[in-house]
Amino acid sequence: MKKFLIPFVILTQVLFISSTFKEKINVVTTLEDFASITKEIGGDRVDVIAIAKGCQNPHYLEGKPSFMKRLNKADLLIYNGLQLEIGWLPLIVQGARNPKIAYGAKGNLDCSKGIHILEVPQGEVDRSMGDVHPEGNPHYTLDPRNGIIIANRIFEKLKELSPDDEEYFKKNLDEFLHKLERKIEEWEKRMEPYRGTKVVTYHKQWEYLAEWLGFKIVGEIEDKPGIPPSPRHLSWLISFMKEEKIPLIIAANFDDIDTARKVSQKTGATLLILPAFVGGEEEVKTYLDLFETIVSKIEKGLKR
Amino acid sequence: MKKINFVLLFLLMGFRAWGEGIEGSSTITGISRRFNPAISLNGLFLGAVASKHEEMDRIFRIQEVETYFTAFVDPYLKGDITLAIHSHSNEDEHEGEHHEGYHLEIEEAYVTTQNLPANLTFRIGKFLSFFGKHNLLHTHQFPFIDPPIANQKIFGEEGLNEVGIEASYLTPLPFYSEIILEVMEGENENLFESSKVWDLAYLLHLKNLWDLSESTTLEIGVSGVYGRIHNEEVEKGWSSVLGEDLTLKWKPPRRAIFHSFVVQMELFESIKKSEEGKDRSFGLTTSALYQFSRRWWIGGRYDLFKNEENLQRISFLVAFVPSEFTAIRFQYNVNLNSEEAIHEGMIQLNFTIGSHPAHKY
Repeated sequence: MKKFLIPFVILTQVLFISSTFKEKINVVTTLEDFASITKEIGGDRVDVIAIAKGCQNPHYLEGKPSFMKRLNKADLLIYNGLQLEIGWLPLIVQGARNPKIAYGAKGNLDCSKGIHILEVPQGEVDRSMGDVHPEGNPHYTLDPRNGIIIANRIFEKLKELSPDDEEYFKKNLDEFLHKLERKIEEWEKRMEPYRGTKVVTYHKQWEYLAEWLGFKIVGEIEDKPGIPPSPRHLSWLISFMKEEKIPLIIAANFDDIDTARKVSQKTGATLLILPAFVGGEEEVKTYLDLFETIVSKIEKGLKR
Repeated sequence: MKKINFVLLFLLMGFRAWGEGIEGSSTITGISRRFNPAISLNGLFLGAVASKHEEMDRIFRIQEVETYFTAFVDPYLKGDITLAIHSHSNEDEHEGEHHEGYHLEIEEAYVTTQNLPANLTFRIGKFLSFFGKHNLLHTHQFPFIDPPIANQKIFGEEGLNEVGIEASYLTPLPFYSEIILEVMEGENENLFESSKVWDLAYLLHLKNLWDLSESTTLEIGVSGVYGRIHNEEVEKGWSSVLGEDLTLKWKPPRRAIFHSFVVQMELFESIKKSEEGKDRSFGLTTSALYQFSRRWWIGGRYDLFKNEENLQRISFLVAFVPSEFTAIRFQYNVNLNSEEAIHEGMIQLNFTIGSHPAHKY
């Protein structure tokens, strides 16, 4: 009898433990920014993984089959939209064979909905203007106030997928928003002296950040969005920057830093290489870290 | 019927005008655009010269124009249609003259299922068969200007591109592993060609891919296709091709726009059985492409094809890619045939207009 009892007890124990262990919501995000916010709200009730590394330019990712494998088991896909991921996401959603996250399904969350989109082209656009995004500038995660909207939308979605956890998610959301809102106030205060600073950026990546901080973007190093600079454009830009005494150049770490450095040396403007996404630098592990790093670097760069 | 079409057209135009009235003059946001398929067009301009003048009939040509349409049909299906206009030269038998012509062809026209359970996907229609790696590519996606000799000799100019049904299954293995099965009309004239209605062709492909590191992937595939032959020359026969493919890709995440490297190898063994016995051929193609700066690629390729003839070719490529939508490529080929070496030089301009197409991995 004893011989049977021990395995029996173990078995019931295992069954008991596994039944109290609730299935986590399996979330895949395209950007680490969304992964970070999802972790804040979902806590230990979600498993989150991001496809693009923060140090990568997400527009130029390739739709690796291993991404399909990740999406195959996902309950929720969270992405940026506005055509940022258009070169690869449709293919891996197709290849994932997962009806839960297909376009139009409940587990498919396009975060751009509800955001005030900047630079939506008025009238006709065509590719002579470079790689313009016809639905507007897609880099809205770089305004932390948009983080509040994104967090709310992710909360709504998690609640929809797991109504039993609503209270838990709500508590986490409130904590996160409280933290974020306090931080936004602090960052705004620190950046107050630099409002109106004129900036040249490498790519049209920083429009939302500039709008938040009251910076004025007066030009890009790129000839046109996504098109590397020509010598003629560079020489024009350099003389323009000298004339206008532009103090700051902002580039992301996946841009062509050598060119940005050349422009900085020739004009005397400070070159700031900023993380464009969570994970863009080793210490930038969360959405709050991202802006802490950006604000600190701007402070340091502009303080003479 | 015609009347109804006119009415529909009229209604559509009316809606379009209405949409533009509301949202300004943008065709991007106009209501008509919403349900139109995404459309991309690709043009290939080719200039080619060869050391053996008989091989040449002209220098410049429009190699191909491809139009690609894609949209969701409904919640269950996605539709893809590729129409291609190819250039081809005909030998006029009566007058012994060359003349250049173009013909329109349905290159692909298929639907893909969207929401099937159990990791299954079906494709139904006409599509490029899942044999190896190169056969999946449209002309403008070729890594080199011309296709490998083995693909050309075994599957013909258009590749293995039949009407049929494909089922693919993503296995639950820890790495990416997919099983693809196709049943199709065996009409490829280089391979099957049977006048009997029930003589279908069958294809099996296993695709396996591992992420070796953040920047490197390894893909290994095996393919097999089988079909019967029944035509004027062969009373009762069959044809089969076995293939293996190996691809190693390197693309460091942080520098992804600036550097990447691809090595690829494909092996083919083709057997044609008829009353007269078995006709075997063997093909190999191996290539390396290296992107050394944002806009520049260099590459080399070695081709081998063996049956009664023994063909070898070495190719070098330089590509200048100013944007995602244009590429200018230069290629130099040395053909080492039994008699004398033939040198070829090619320049190709590849341009895409219309909707931003997703890129196959």
